Amino acid sequence: MSTHPTPPSDYDVSREQMLDFKVDQQLLQVVDTDAKNFILTTVDEVFNWARLSSVWPVTFGLACCAIEMMATSATRYDIDRFGAGAFRATPRQADLMIVSGTVTAKMATRLKLIYDQMPEPKWVIAMGSCAIGGGPYFKYGYHVVKGVDFMVPVDVYVPGCPPRPEVLLDGLMRLQDKIRGRKGRFIAPKWVTDYAKLIPYRK
Amino acid sequence: MEQNAIYELLAGVLGDGALGYNEHALEPWADVAPARIAEACRFLRDDPRLGFDQLMCLSGLDWDGFDETGKGKSTAILGYTDDGKPETSDRVGTGELGVAYHLYSHALRHKFTLRVRVPRDAATVPTVGGVWSTAQWHEREAWDLLGITFAGHPDLRRMLLDDEWVGHPLRKDYVMPDTWSGVPLQGQPYCANPFPVETGGPDQPAGDQPAEG
Repeated sequence: MSTHPTPPSDYDVSREQMLDFKVDQQLLQVVDTDAKNFILTTVDEVFNWARLSSVWPVTFGLACCAIEMMATSATRYDIDRFGAGAFRATPRQADLMIVSGTVTAKMATRLKLIYDQMPEPKWVIAMGSCAIGGGPYFKYGYHVVKGVDFMVPVDVYVPGCPPRPEVLLDGLMRLQDKIRGRKGRFIAPKWVTDYAKLIPYRK
Repeated sequence: MEQNAIYELLAGVLGDGALGYNEHALEPWADVAPARIAEACRFLRDDPRLGFDQLMCLSGLDWDGFDETGKGKSTAILGYTDDGKPETSDRVGTGELGVAYHLYSHALRHKFTLRVRVPRDAATVPTVGGVWSTAQWHEREAWDLLGITFAGHPDLRRMLLDDEWVGHPLRKDYVMPDTWSGVPLQGQPYCANPFPVETGGPDQPAGDQPAEG
């Protein structure tokens, strides 16, 4: 995953649209902790370990993805195993905003306000197709922001409509990888690669 | 009571205010003159033979842009160009607007549907909020999304959209703005392609298997 394969000369642009993936390029470009000196490396690692071990999300459910987010925080999937179970009722105590659902234009102004109220350092997970790119509202959704990354910087995209709780947990772990300052590791499941092979490269 | 009989009673009271009855639809409806709609609704609620004590729904309608098959089509976005910009139309809508009233009687267990049609440039219908108070919210929604004014409504504000919103989005000739209050509304090309497109070449070249690890 460290290097992109060379695209074929007859690559079909619409293939990526059909794949419906959006790769977080920043995950591949995080700093290498070994490049720093000894003292700073150690302190940073301790701080980052503390941060990634207790990522407190803000209670912020927008649409049906919020139901999956609640299921993730409930006992069966239990996001508290990863230190992110303390959903705070105020953005001033939160580190993470899980944008779980459709971001309407009316809500986007409030979302920006909530994001600005969160203390640094803060992270954003865009959960679901609507938060990533507008989803089914892309064409005729006069009131929907076509991707929450128009409003706030997004760290991890979690695709799905809605994503299952396992996927949100995986997105949280990728975020923890990012906080840790190491390269994320993504192994595509078999059904993803099988599905990707079905879509032709050429028109 | 049968729907035909309900319309006979209604037409007897309204006279020339009852404009017609369509009994072949899945849910038959009666056309009523817009100026007489509040009177018709009050009669349908208060008459003991009818007793329509609930307004199930009040819906705004836009009959603009119907093709020969009877299907309506939005003209807000016609399509997308190659660089992802939406193509919009500046066509001005000409069709009529309207309101549909779906009524139900809990005591007698029958339904009825009323319709009014108003011209697009003077879309004003008398309110029925005095008959069923639940109509006030439905009328606010119809005003919000279709711009149908309800004369006599005590509090005709926007229901769903923000107060500063411009226009009425469910009209067929509504054109989506680029931004609203600093919020971008138009989409970008969904996934920017960094690779140039050429034609020709083998079907499945080597070396482009999905990345793992």
